[in-house]
Amino acid sequence: MSNPDYDLVIVGGGISGAAIAKTVVEQSAKNKKFPRILILEAGRATALSADKYDTYVEAYHEALIKVPNSPYPASASAPQPDVLDIRPLKDAHGKPKIGDQGYFVQKGPMPFGSDYARSLGGTTLHWLGTTLRMLPNDFRMNETYGRGVDWPIRYEDLKPYYERAEWDVIGVAADVDHQYYPGIEDDDPKKYFRSKNLEKFKNGVYHFPMEEIPSSYLDQYLAKHVDGMTITLPGMDRDEPDHEFTIRISNTPVARNSTPTTPDYKVVGAAGNADRGQRCEGNSSCIPICPVQAKYNALKTLYELIVRYPYQLKEGEKEGQRARVDIRSQCVATEVMHDDGKVTGLTYKTYYDDGFKPTDHTVTARTYVLAANAIENATLLLASNNAANRSDQVGRNLMDHPLLLTWGLLPENVGAYRGPGSTSGIPSFRDGDFRDARTAFRVEIGNWGWNFPENTPYTTVLDLVGGGEDGKAQFYGKALRKRLGEILPRQFRIAWELEQDPEARNRVTIDDRYRDALNKYRPVIEYDLSDYVKASLPWAAEASRQLFAQLGMAEKRRRPTYETGDYSHYDADDASVVQYEGETYCVRGAGHVVGTHRMGDDPTTSVVDSHQRSHDLPNLFIAGCGSMPTLGTSNPTLTMTALALRTGDKIAEELSK
Amino acid sequence: MGNSTPPTPKQIFAELSVELTGFDRAELAGTGMIDTYYDTLLRMIGEREAGQLLRFASEALDKDRTEKMNGTAFRPAVIDSPRFGPVAVSLIKLWYLGMWYPLPAVYRDLFGSTADDVGHVVSGQGYREGLVWVAAGAHPMGGKPPGHGSWAEPPSLLNPTP
Repeated sequence: MSNPDYDLVIVGGGISGAAIAKTVVEQSAKNKKFPRILILEAGRATALSADKYDTYVEAYHEALIKVPNSPYPASASAPQPDVLDIRPLKDAHGKPKIGDQGYFVQKGPMPFGSDYARSLGGTTLHWLGTTLRMLPNDFRMNETYGRGVDWPIRYEDLKPYYERAEWDVIGVAADVDHQYYPGIEDDDPKKYFRSKNLEKFKNGVYHFPMEEIPSSYLDQYLAKHVDGMTITLPGMDRDEPDHEFTIRISNTPVARNSTPTTPDYKVVGAAGNADRGQRCEGNSSCIPICPVQAKYNALKTLYELIVRYPYQLKEGEKEGQRARVDIRSQCVATEVMHDDGKVTGLTYKTYYDDGFKPTDHTVTARTYVLAANAIENATLLLASNNAANRSDQVGRNLMDHPLLLTWGLLPENVGAYRGPGSTSGIPSFRDGDFRDARTAFRVEIGNWGWNFPENTPYTTVLDLVGGGEDGKAQFYGKALRKRLGEILPRQFRIAWELEQDPEARNRVTIDDRYRDALNKYRPVIEYDLSDYVKASLPWAAEASRQLFAQLGMAEKRRRPTYETGDYSHYDADDASVVQYEGETYCVRGAGHVVGTHRMGDDPTTSVVDSHQRSHDLPNLFIAGCGSMPTLGTSNPTLTMTALALRTGDKIAEELSK
Repeated sequence: MGNSTPPTPKQIFAELSVELTGFDRAELAGTGMIDTYYDTLLRMIGEREAGQLLRFASEALDKDRTEKMNGTAFRPAVIDSPRFGPVAVSLIKLWYLGMWYPLPAVYRDLFGSTADDVGHVVSGQGYREGLVWVAAGAHPMGGKPPGHGSWAEPPSLLNPTP
């Protein structure tokens, strides 16, 4: 490999790849080194200009069924999972059945309930934007609770990278004083966030780059009624005492633009249209799309790279005087070629969608990064003659945050359907000694009524108007308008997001029978919940009952009637049904695809080291949520970004040698 | 209509829409959707059948207005009618949600409908102008943003009685 095509090739134009590219460019520049970087993206580059981004918004408005991937069309050459493809994995006789109607081949026993986007910008196009850091014990689950595995790094190790992710890549809005987390030193958020960067943060007193996004009227209503209440949850048996939790509504750190906390911080607006999206305007559609890009997406970082470091040299410019970044979309990586303990090249197919045959390419580089999403990374490695898989952990330990939804009709108007998807949560259950017996969970308060569990407001309109066999409108005219005004603003829902523990049996594999239009392997997924996870379902349900009772919603109700009460219910024929101790629950995916190439110090039990470097192939980094050994209760994107910055530093250091 | 010129079919359609939705003429005109939804009605059930609906609706609304019957003529003539009731249901949903919901089989067995009578979002604008968002005191998800921090303010509608 005397003359590689590039210094660095990155597979995947999402947040991880973008953050690594940006870091490598910026850190290398400090050593007067100017790398040439290629980013290969499987999906389309529809939205790298603001006017094209608007076509995504229009597609969302016109979509018949509005799901996270509605705005983002996929090609058969780079298909993507869709939550609409999730079906029960049982036939009419209750026998197990493979679900292969979508992109995923779901072998069950439960369907994997999450999706991701294969478009330039990746799944940050439709993430909610929650940017919670992990808690200290999340990094040492085995040491503290005898569960899962420990990370090779600790919270304090990752802290400086969290800070850079919050300031330099994502842009986070939050107030340190309003973070009420369990499991932190002296219950003091100031200590949890204390920075070692004394140059930037005087006396180490940390602050976020932007002021917190205001808590919704709903959050304020809840705080008035439940702040300080105690929720008591039963132990499993006589030996385990009851556990008590004090409820405190906590404003959530988010990747949404607001007012800078310091004049030095420059708010990053829409890609290609910086004046737009300077502040969150309350479009109430973070998922599936922020119409103004006030919420961070990776297009912003990618756009910055191609504008500042275009691959094409301008007239008079000479090679080696500045970094150069090349982004190629509709390029699907097909194999990581490796020999003698190192990667020797990468093959990919470029597709055209116009009837022209896909073309084959090979590219070489000094260093390679896979940052194509946890499931895509694993599939590619398995398809590459089992690359980087001496540990047999590639594809294993697939995790998500299974969500239990509970919802009810409040006695008063709380102004539902306004504001970002969530502005606050209840962190009380994120850590505690109960984690030796059952999983921790985070409570996300939803601002969009019953949109998630019941597809409202559609269903509420249909319930009231009626039709069908009878053919007669039940409510119409002024009575309909008034009744909707009485019901919709009172709709309330909570998501109880359960930490999933790593299990070798939850895995992605490949199978010759299942391939896509480019003849690339489709992910074959086996997925289930452990008893450790399931044991928290009755807890979440019980916590919900106590909370709902405090809010005056104790009565069980069901649509199509609308009266104050608890509307939570789980149907036994749902695709994601879970039976536990005689009770039926349904869980939803959180879109948090984690764990398929976990990091660790031991090459026999982990795929990458703490820098996300392959134990087996040292010039290969496998980056993203797949590297996380355990998940904690934080939405994983912020942690993934912090890890990407750490990886970027390492690559820059090596390329500078 | 209060003058000697007979109303046009589109004017009757607007008047019918006011009765069905509970939104006044100015509010409906403000959505910019009257023309589109009038065309949608014609596409779904054909011009002749739409003409019949508008004729019966117009007569009933006139009667309610001139004889101060407070809707008692409109309900049996349109809402309770096997011929016009199901169309009214779809029109209400159209106005509130921007989406056309197909007519029921029992209706088609008697009166038929066109091949266009399938579920669809009429347009992005129709979605954004869905009356449900106004009725909820909100704004369409993904459109007409009310501004930074607006969600922290008390909602626009008064507290309803539970």
